[in-house]
Amino acid sequence: MNDIAQMTIKFTEIEGIFNMNKYIALVGTNSDKSTNRELLQFMKRHYADQADIEVVEIKGLPVFNKPDNMKVPDAALAIADKIDQSDGVIISTPEYDHSVPAALMNALEWLSYGIHPFVDKPVMITGSSYGSLGSSRAQGHLRIILDSPELRARIMPSSEFLLDHSLQAFDDDGNLLDQEKLSKLDGLFADFQTFVGLAKQLNHATSINRQEASDYSWDKQ
Amino acid sequence: MKLVGIAGSVADHSYNRMLLKFIANHFSDTVDLEILDINDVPMFNQSDDQTDSEPIAYLTRKISQADGVIIATPEHNHTLTASLKSVIEWLSFNVHPFSDKPVMIVGASYYDQGSSRAQLMLRQILESPGVNAIVMPGNEFLLADVKQAFDENDNLKDANTVKFLGSTLDKFVKFVRVINMLNEPQPTSAEDEDLTASSKIDTTVEGVDMGADDWVEQAAKKVNAVEGDTYVKLDRGLLTVDQLNAFLNSMPIELTYADSNNQFIYYNHMLPADKMLAPRTPAQAGDPMSMVHPARAVKHVKEVIHMLRTGQRDEIKMPVPGNGPDKYILHAYRAMRDSENKYLGINEYVEDLMPMIKWYLAKTGQKLVDDPDAVTGASAETTDASTGASSANERTVAPVAAPATPETDASTGASEDEEEPTSVASAESISASTETAADSEPDDVTGASEDE
Repeated sequence: MNDIAQMTIKFTEIEGIFNMNKYIALVGTNSDKSTNRELLQFMKRHYADQADIEVVEIKGLPVFNKPDNMKVPDAALAIADKIDQSDGVIISTPEYDHSVPAALMNALEWLSYGIHPFVDKPVMITGSSYGSLGSSRAQGHLRIILDSPELRARIMPSSEFLLDHSLQAFDDDGNLLDQEKLSKLDGLFADFQTFVGLAKQLNHATSINRQEASDYSWDKQ
Repeated sequence: MKLVGIAGSVADHSYNRMLLKFIANHFSDTVDLEILDINDVPMFNQSDDQTDSEPIAYLTRKISQADGVIIATPEHNHTLTASLKSVIEWLSFNVHPFSDKPVMIVGASYYDQGSSRAQLMLRQILESPGVNAIVMPGNEFLLADVKQAFDENDNLKDANTVKFLGSTLDKFVKFVRVINMLNEPQPTSAEDEDLTASSKIDTTVEGVDMGADDWVEQAAKKVNAVEGDTYVKLDRGLLTVDQLNAFLNSMPIELTYADSNNQFIYYNHMLPADKMLAPRTPAQAGDPMSMVHPARAVKHVKEVIHMLRTGQRDEIKMPVPGNGPDKYILHAYRAMRDSENKYLGINEYVEDLMPMIKWYLAKTGQKLVDDPDAVTGASAETTDASTGASSANERTVAPVAAPATPETDASTGASEDEEEPTSVASAESISASTETAADSEPDDVTGASEDE
């Protein structure tokens, strides 16, 4: 009896691993030192038994210049491909000048120029800052940006993870120190898992959304 | 008014750049708008500081020197372009040229939103503490359906749009004046004048010791100053630096330039110090004003600067007493202002008037005679500065002409009043004061007018 029960548990675990959601975690900055990167790396480790999180960098993309030939750089195409293959995206953004860093805006411009990996893709937004506001204003802007016609991401509503005083937030092993913050992150991540499941059912307009996003031509009048 | 314009796009073809060009051309009577290029600005990266690179240093310099900035923003993904945001990030990282700078936002877009959301975000970004620009409120200029908006000569087609743009620009010109007035360090009293020149103005050469004997050489090197046979375009003419020096050094007056930061930055070096009416030495150029005035003069110097800076006076004349009948040395301090009436500093010119007076008298066969009325005028002219000195000096000039009469002594009447406060005398002095108040002449004139 015990053996059977144990086997069942093990089977469930294995099934879980096979069905584990795959997430792309975009580091919202090109800076060498980033507590947002630290946060995503922590999430990757901390939720390793619940999801497969790949931390992806946006550094090194050329400045978006709206090329007439619609050519998107290979590095951006590679990110787009990863997002296409994923079940969802986690974006962690710093705040520069009350808004999203140019480097992240730049990545999103390339990732919506004739390609539309974000359409109906579930997105969880996190962010950290050295001060006490935890990138609140940048996160607000990022929501508006992700809602634009060529991105049309499925942003998890009514959720916000603001990591303030981020330089003091992690221990030497990169683990989040504040247990209250951690509980909040655990809760939001569990919600995101559910949201991703729900979002998969919210697919009736996806093909139309994709069509509209690609019809939103820069040259259309 | 000198403005710079930034189009928030690095695309080859940009309607926002076209809009700025239209403003620059069509409204050239209102503003002098120079369009800045942001094409070569790298993506901002806080771990790779390129603040000193040419494209960023160029923007920093141009924006710092401008009276105001117009930003024309497209809208990508409900926001401004990353290229524009990157520029703003560089200019709020280790340098802050936008700080307290008046900014107007305009924008053009392909669709009917006309960049409304991008403008809103740009406004918030510009007002964040690191950028600290002062964005003109209201007066949103949104150019929708931009592909239809221009004719084949890149002019805006719709007359009403042009009219609205013009009125918005007019308001911005006023806004720039008001904001820059706020920014101008305006000491509330003469006491606040900083003679140590410790603050900084746009033209202050940083990183050179103002007190150094070779400040001129060091500062010139720092700013790559031109010299010799290089041409300088002037209002109105064209001279080489050598010609300009020859011209200024042949003036029959000694000229001194003290800037609005109270730094002594120039004099026409035509004579050695011991031959000058107001001695200056080459090593003094560059000194803060505190170094070139004795402590006892500081209060007076501050008062003079303050009156000129605040526009209470445009010029203050101070004769120097005690030079005998053959010399009448005049120090004149004239406020210098730009076309916007912004204070630029003091032009001090020193001259001996007597050679010119004597020449005139000889040429016209006249001689000086003492005029009792003249004293009143003369002392009124100098009351703000050094009344006592000037009235003493009046006396030294007088002997050239007729013998002095007691009536001309300005102080006599006044002191008599003080000593004999009879009711009649008081009444008289009251009426006299009333009169002088109407003439807005200060107290010490009272005695003189009473004598009349």
